[in-house]
Amino acid sequence: MPPNEVPTPGLPLNFGWLPPQLAEFTTIAIDLDLTPTYVLPPQFDEPLTANVRETRLLAQSPFVKTIGKLDLAVTTEGWKFPSPPIEYAPRAANANSESVRPVGRRVVDLPTLPDGQPMPDGLKPRIRTGPTTDHVLIKDRLLYLLQPPLDGLFNGRQLEVPFEPFPYQLEGIAFLMPRHAALLADEMGLGKTAQAILALRLLYHQGVVTKALIVMPKPLVHNWARELKLWAPDLPFEVFDGDADDRRRVWLVSNCPLKLINYETLTRDAEILADKRVAFDLVVLDEAQRIKNRGSKTANTVTSIRRTRSWAMTGTPIENHADDLVNIFSFVDPGRVPQDCPPRQIASLTSDCILRRTKDDVQSDMPPKMIKDVEVDLTSAQRIAYDRAENDGIIHLNELGDTISVQHVFQLVMRLKQICNFDPLTGESAKLEQLMHDMEEVAANGRKAIIFSQWVEPLKVIAESLKAYGPLQYHGRIPQNERTPILDRFQADPDAHVLLMTYGTGSVGLNLQFSNYVFLFDRWWNPAVEDQAINRAHRIGQRHPVTVTRFLTENTIEQRIGDILEAKRKVFNDLLSQADKPASIGLSEDEIFGLFDIGARRKKAA
Amino acid sequence: MSDRPIAPNAFVLGFLTVVQDPGGYFGGYLVTNAWGRPLEFRMTTAVQPNRVQQILYGATLNEYIFADLIGKTLIEKATAQPSLIIADHPSMLPLRSRMDVPVIALPGDTTGDALTIQHARSSSPLLFSASFAHDRATIEELLNQIDPSVDLTEPFARIREAVAEARKLGVANRAA
Repeated sequence: MPPNEVPTPGLPLNFGWLPPQLAEFTTIAIDLDLTPTYVLPPQFDEPLTANVRETRLLAQSPFVKTIGKLDLAVTTEGWKFPSPPIEYAPRAANANSESVRPVGRRVVDLPTLPDGQPMPDGLKPRIRTGPTTDHVLIKDRLLYLLQPPLDGLFNGRQLEVPFEPFPYQLEGIAFLMPRHAALLADEMGLGKTAQAILALRLLYHQGVVTKALIVMPKPLVHNWARELKLWAPDLPFEVFDGDADDRRRVWLVSNCPLKLINYETLTRDAEILADKRVAFDLVVLDEAQRIKNRGSKTANTVTSIRRTRSWAMTGTPIENHADDLVNIFSFVDPGRVPQDCPPRQIASLTSDCILRRTKDDVQSDMPPKMIKDVEVDLTSAQRIAYDRAENDGIIHLNELGDTISVQHVFQLVMRLKQICNFDPLTGESAKLEQLMHDMEEVAANGRKAIIFSQWVEPLKVIAESLKAYGPLQYHGRIPQNERTPILDRFQADPDAHVLLMTYGTGSVGLNLQFSNYVFLFDRWWNPAVEDQAINRAHRIGQRHPVTVTRFLTENTIEQRIGDILEAKRKVFNDLLSQADKPASIGLSEDEIFGLFDIGARRKKAA
Repeated sequence: MSDRPIAPNAFVLGFLTVVQDPGGYFGGYLVTNAWGRPLEFRMTTAVQPNRVQQILYGATLNEYIFADLIGKTLIEKATAQPSLIIADHPSMLPLRSRMDVPVIALPGDTTGDALTIQHARSSSPLLFSASFAHDRATIEELLNQIDPSVDLTEPFARIREAVAEARKLGVANRAA
């Protein structure tokens, strides 16, 4: 059988292809049962499970560690600040600004700020605004921290100014700008007006202030207008003027960013302040002592103005009583100083809101002021008249007995003071003789002088005597519209050497720094008012020493008043830094009685 | 040059700085008008790269943190679009390649391939990217328009003070 052929069971196999010796085989059928027999394995109650263990091929585990995100990320937080009004466009700088600037401009060392650190490499500390303790919101704090330094701000073209402010004035601006409640109480003549205007101007540029109101005594409106044109020529302003309808338009319709009003007009328009449309970002009170009387119509009107920021300015924050300051604060920050606040606490409550510098503080920036007390002997005619008047007057006062009042004493004082000026019969005057002598020197040097008196009548007599020096008069009897031209003429006319003023009209707010001599022909009752008068001449812009002559007649009522006032002036100079403030710095009732030793008798009578 | 001062809103400057301290890198960005008055301020949370990031980012880390991470983020998040970006470190010059605004920087330890401009508005020389040399004319024109009272090195003192103030008040921890 061929190798690939399948044999048929029971048949002999054909092995013919094999060699003969091997081909003799017979097939045998075998019954072979190959069915497999299945035997079940033993069964267990619990199934067996195999444990599988991983076999580590390496002795050490591989170093695999998650390192987290590889990318870096930050989040941000931001604050937007007000920007200048869109319509604002700066004025062109004066073409000759560079040549104009040096006028009144001086190089002075910057003072070290209270919290300032010494600067390395001789660098000067910068004068910057900063947040106050009243600023709680981070946005408010950052707004002032991020303002550019004030020194250097006036070197560019953005702020046209007649001359660069003095460093202490920059500090004043830095003080005002961030404050919603501020009292700038610099001594008269240090340029409070300029500081307030520049601070206002910068806030206007920032867009923080868009509507402002400045309130001032009537005689100072022109002065403010002039100062605004000087220090903020790009800031439009409008003066409340005209009849009630005109003023109503200014209150309600005008969108002028800055409005000027005097106290009297404001008081007349008190009702309109109730209109909700009348609201300001800033209200500035000049000569804020005008609201020292609590409950007065002026004080009530001023405090009723809707406003966000309240700035007050005065060189005499305490004119008579510590309460003056408390009442000013009823405008500056209502509620900060309670009406019944003990004087000891006033300083701590108000210190953060008050900035006061004296001329001594900024001495390097100001020429000196020399005060000369000239004691003159009454002429014989004056002495006779004086002695007679005093003796008769005292007799009369004593006759009044218990009915005597301070008014009676006051009348006698006034009478005696007038005799100290001029003899009522002959017109002789020891003071005038001395004054004429002094004026010769003033005029010979080409200087100008201001003479102050309590009354108009003596001024008229003096004017007559000083005709040779081109005297000009400025007092309450001069019509309002004639007053400013008088001041302009006094400044411009080289032949006008003397200006005669009353304390009441000429002592406040006027800039007469082109005068180098001040004569106090008679004395006022309050040293603060005298200082105001003196500082018309001794103020910023003054480039020469100022000589102040205070006339005093010996052995008269003037000397007794002078002694009391001098003692009080010493206390007054420290007022703002003292916890114990005197009750009054003018003459008290007892002091007036004491002038004639009547006080003791009054007490006995009582 | 005209004596007429430029309007304050004529253009916007962006002052960019990165403050580094143990807490990490903080970004501060002050937007001012042409007079240097602040319009907007923005700051970042702290960035503190770990050791691995320092290794993996290698030499590109500073540029990445200064330009991409802090600089670009701050500028893009701010509302006002600046006409010129002033940085206080050359590491932020690469920012120029990330946005279409000229970038100048105050000199630092390294200047790289930066070009220099001398200008009265800065008490130190100013750098800008050599890759964007054509920016020179634009930069000089803008610098000429900035008010002379502005010293470009000065605002960075303000920013650092503001960053410190904000951090004192906990702003850096809640920036979003």
